[in-house]
Amino acid sequence: MSRYRIPGMGRVDPAAPVSFTFDGRRYTGLRGDTVASALLANGVHLMGRSFKYHRPRGPVSAGSEEPNALIGTSRGPGRFEPNTRATVQELRQGLVTESQNKFPSLKFDIGAVNDRAYMLFSAGFYYKTFMWPRSFWDKVYEPFIRAAAGLGKSPTEVDPDEYASRYLHTDVLVIGGGASGIAAALVAARSGARVVLVDENAEMGGSLLSDPSVRIDGRGSWAWLAEQLSQLRAAGVRLMTRTTAIGYYHQNFVGLCERLTDHLDQPPHGAPRERMWRVRAEQVVLAQGALEKPLVFDGNDRPGVMLAGSAQTYLNRYGVKVGDCAAVVTSHDSAYYTAFDLVDAGGRVAVIADTRDQVRPDLVEAARRRGIQLLTGHTVTTTYGRLRIKGVRVNPVKGGQVGAGRKIACDTLLMSGGWTPSLHLFSHTKGSLTWDADSRTFLPNHKTEACQIAGAGRGLWGYGPVIEDGVKAGLAAAEALGRTGTAFGAGVEGDRPGTGVSQKELPTDLSAGKAKAFVDYQNDVTAKDIRLAVREGMRSIEHVKRYTTNGMATDQGKMSNINGLMIAADALGKQPPQVGLTTFRPPYTPTSFGAFAGYHKGATFELTRKTPIDPWAEAQGAVFEPVSLWRRAWYFPKGGEDMHAAVARECRATRASVGMFDASTLGKIEVAGPDAVEFMNRMYTNPWTKLAPGRCRYGLLLGEDGFIRDDGVIGRLSQDLFHVTTTTGGAARVLNMMEDYLQTEWPDLNVWLTSTTEQWSTVAVNGPNARKVLEPLVEGLDMSDANFPHMSVAECTVAGLPARLFRISFTGELGFEINVPARHGLALWKAIHEAGRAYDICPYGTESMHVLRAEKGYIIVGQDTDGTVTPQDAGLDWAIGKAKKDFVGKRSLQRPDIVAPNRKQLVGLLTEDGTRLEEGAQIVLDPNQKTPMTMAGHVTSSYDSVALGRPIAMAVITGGHNRMGETVHIPMPNGTIRAKVTSTNFYDPEGERLKA
Amino acid sequence: MTTQRHDFNAQPFLLEELPPVGRFSLRVRPGQREALAAALGLELPTAIGQRSSAGQTEVLCLGPDEWAILTAEAERDALVAAGAAAYAQIPHSLVEVSDREITLRLSGAQALTALTAVCPRDIDAIPVGRGARTLFDSATVLLWRDGPQDFRMDVWRSFLPHVRAILDKITVELKSGL
Amino acid sequence: MLLINCPYCEATLPELEFAYAGEAHIDRPADPSALSDEEWRDFLFIRTNARGPHFERWRHIHGCGRFFNAVRDTVSDRFLMTYKAGEARPVLNALEAAE
Repeated sequence: MSRYRIPGMGRVDPAAPVSFTFDGRRYTGLRGDTVASALLANGVHLMGRSFKYHRPRGPVSAGSEEPNALIGTSRGPGRFEPNTRATVQELRQGLVTESQNKFPSLKFDIGAVNDRAYMLFSAGFYYKTFMWPRSFWDKVYEPFIRAAAGLGKSPTEVDPDEYASRYLHTDVLVIGGGASGIAAALVAARSGARVVLVDENAEMGGSLLSDPSVRIDGRGSWAWLAEQLSQLRAAGVRLMTRTTAIGYYHQNFVGLCERLTDHLDQPPHGAPRERMWRVRAEQVVLAQGALEKPLVFDGNDRPGVMLAGSAQTYLNRYGVKVGDCAAVVTSHDSAYYTAFDLVDAGGRVAVIADTRDQVRPDLVEAARRRGIQLLTGHTVTTTYGRLRIKGVRVNPVKGGQVGAGRKIACDTLLMSGGWTPSLHLFSHTKGSLTWDADSRTFLPNHKTEACQIAGAGRGLWGYGPVIEDGVKAGLAAAEALGRTGTAFGAGVEGDRPGTGVSQKELPTDLSAGKAKAFVDYQNDVTAKDIRLAVREGMRSIEHVKRYTTNGMATDQGKMSNINGLMIAADALGKQPPQVGLTTFRPPYTPTSFGAFAGYHKGATFELTRKTPIDPWAEAQGAVFEPVSLWRRAWYFPKGGEDMHAAVARECRATRASVGMFDASTLGKIEVAGPDAVEFMNRMYTNPWTKLAPGRCRYGLLLGEDGFIRDDGVIGRLSQDLFHVTTTTGGAARVLNMMEDYLQTEWPDLNVWLTSTTEQWSTVAVNGPNARKVLEPLVEGLDMSDANFPHMSVAECTVAGLPARLFRISFTGELGFEINVPARHGLALWKAIHEAGRAYDICPYGTESMHVLRAEKGYIIVGQDTDGTVTPQDAGLDWAIGKAKKDFVGKRSLQRPDIVAPNRKQLVGLLTEDGTRLEEGAQIVLDPNQKTPMTMAGHVTSSYDSVALGRPIAMAVITGGHNRMGETVHIPMPNGTIRAKVTSTNFYDPEGERLKA
Repeated sequence: MTTQRHDFNAQPFLLEELPPVGRFSLRVRPGQREALAAALGLELPTAIGQRSSAGQTEVLCLGPDEWAILTAEAERDALVAAGAAAYAQIPHSLVEVSDREITLRLSGAQALTALTAVCPRDIDAIPVGRGARTLFDSATVLLWRDGPQDFRMDVWRSFLPHVRAILDKITVELKSGL
Repeated sequence: MLLINCPYCEATLPELEFAYAGEAHIDRPADPSALSDEEWRDFLFIRTNARGPHFERWRHIHGCGRFFNAVRDTVSDRFLMTYKAGEARPVLNALEAAE
């Protein structure tokens, strides 16, 4: 048994030792321990170094609010986590833990020199120190800040764990499994409501776990607790432990992070490490209890200085005495119970120093009975010791005057500055707070959500009142649900009621400049820093927070906010409610990225859409690229080809003979109904009335602002039926836009839209031999140029499959696109591939498709346009139905800015020296002008063209259409490139090849 | 030493990919719904989420003027012909989408739990015998509830690999017992 | 994540099923060519940017697919009501009083 473990106490299992290491040394704890309780049982208080001053620190709490005892934990390869709170991490066999922020060792740390140089690091030191000279920033300041920034080491390996998520819809969500939460859950569940009760700890019970001496309904509190839990289960309540409510959002939407495996020696196969629950509750009951505040005095951070309530938790819940000889300093009654429990368990309490002059007589009597020295009206002015407290100096305070101090030896100092309700989740909802002058705390006031607040979370104290309040909250929740609850009472004996006062920093006889009285432990913010911030002009508490970093550590001000406020208010000469609190933001406690990501990691990181032909491309070793949510074959390398060689081969083969391309991702919309042609006329710039069934047309879609939104070839299958294609990335957007007009602007039109993107699988066949490849496969259609000219569409059979066959081209070659029902897409692809063997048919990917279309000057919406390009800018005036009275965007084409001269217009570029331009490169007209130069445009597309034997580019340039033949300049790091402005139609400008 | 016992063989739910069926998207103005229903020989329910069936044909109301129709492959042509015959009198849109979607069936003890892993909607609030167009993770799906723990989910073809991969992860998770 | 009542589905459903679609009650002019540049500019770009109740459009895009209108308080982020496309703009005072 470890030296500080008290046999027979605590809820740990003495028969189940658990072995773990801390900084390389092996220790033994018990099943049920946290790392902190196990180390304390072994007499170890020193667990870390503070962030700024590298001061030695030990655990100050026993819960999730812990600011000091942050450790690195390793649960095996790849499973290292920094900044784990030792007070939360449960022991498991073989757990490896280490302290942080120390070099070379925890006991001797070079960084502690910062502590001696503390004058340099006071509030706002970042803003003051790193300002000048400017030249120091890159070489000196930034490297220094980067080296010092961050607490703990980032994991370097990929997280091997899985994470999960769950949506839960329930009637009542009770947050906090202490006495009031249990009571509320039981009442609500018995009224017939579906109830979920969550608690962040490993077991339900809250402070009951630390108060076994209290008797409820004639039983010990632990027996009562066990009985309530079995009642809850019987009533169908879902009990979730190790589950933290991290955020409370609109309309009772609460995020819960459930920790599933960190405490298990051997997690079951496939078990996720954590699960994020997204809960929607009709009613929420906040029963989160209260957090104890430290007192602020010089040396209040030495290892061995701890919250009194936490020492009580270590004693009663873990059976661990935190020291051999404790001193207690308090401004609240609750610390007395800790002292009494310690003495009753055989410990020593050297002194209780109470800042108050008057103390409840029964407490005085109980202290006297136990032989505890009680000093009322006293303050603590400093502590002694280096890696562990050795003593405390206490001084009487009379009439505001601090008297002579005396040193009292101790190895632990237990402090209580009173309790503050846990307001975090309530504040997430923007619920307002009210200042309670009696308890000098903020309490929840106006609610914005359908919630109840019960127990210590609204300032109540003692189990009797808290249980009664929980019952009330349960009744209120039931009533709000239209149900009737039944109240129950609980008789409490040996209750521990208490009151106290809130303090600013304790009065001292030390020089104020020397005192290191910590308010925010983790960020090393002292009372002096807060006063300095006020002196230097910070008036808003939000400014004080940012200037000092008070409350900005991982505990998010759970311990420091109220103390910081009290001191700031005093410095400002205002009342605390006039100063107000800073905003509490989610998450309540640090939450892993994995929990937020859930299933979205690795292959399921993002939804990836695949075409029916994708498996063939994969088997051929295609290289893929993401295009919106799709993955598309980018190019098909052969025999060690790089991308450049593969694309050149694919382009050459297509222009020389025939190529094939998976165009299945193109968006497709069936526009059907008697008013289909009217609808098309209104949506697209082009005229549709005279397009005969069986013919296609390039369609251009604008926004109402006149800028190009999308384009695609549209076939008219019958009088009332159009087969619209969109860009791959635009499919959903275009359908949404069309539905919008149809539903809200033109609901009178008899036309309907159906997405058929995935109904059809599409193969494009392009090249001079395209017809020869397809003809043998096609039935029911005469494919001759005379019967089926360019821009035709027909329904027929291809390779025995029902098909919609388009004669269209995005390459400038004779081209066809065959649509078959998607389940047959792969079969069609294979059939064409087989039929094309005689012509060396070449599958090509999206890169070759881009090159081939650029050679023809066909735009890609979103690449050559960017949402500010009009049809005129893109050279697409010809696609505008000038006789049409109206279409979406038409009016904007007359806007002053749109008809203004010198708009950026799409042109071709040919470099003089034959270098390939960078896409996105900026273009200037005069390369000799002074910097910053006037940019005249930028390169939108740029490729090596095999067909032309040189690189080609497209660009938008100011007044570009009037600059044909002019030279423009593209300044690059290695010199300025000259390029000639040309037409974008680089290849076969007469379009003869299309007509083959 | 693990403190919990787990049955690694328990299958939390059965996942099947159902064979292809005829699928149609039907649109018609509410005022002509009844006339078209009669012409097609179907009941077209008016409440979104409501279903009807006739023989092997099932109908799910998706919107105020939108229905999904599932039919045996053999009955496809008859349905198309009935629609074509009625079109002149009752303009509507009957678009075949048989290949747009693939149907997964989830059944067994934890089928509902599996859906709640990634469906934001309260799936348990969908009564047996009804359905909904809703979200499964980031994919839009048609969900048909055939029993308390028996669902069909029509997924767009290209989304299927992702949906299956997520369901595989959920299966492993549920099998772990945690 | 908000809850939104779809007036077509007559159900209150998670925001994830919906997509925001801009300010409501901005009708496309019947004859845009009759508008001055200034009037057309206002139609295109000028929005109320309300602090408080805001008339806006949503689409139940992963559900019934319908566009509808809503009144949402931009301060509290609370929906005061939703109603079908084409229905008249509701009177604010009554709604605010109800809130």
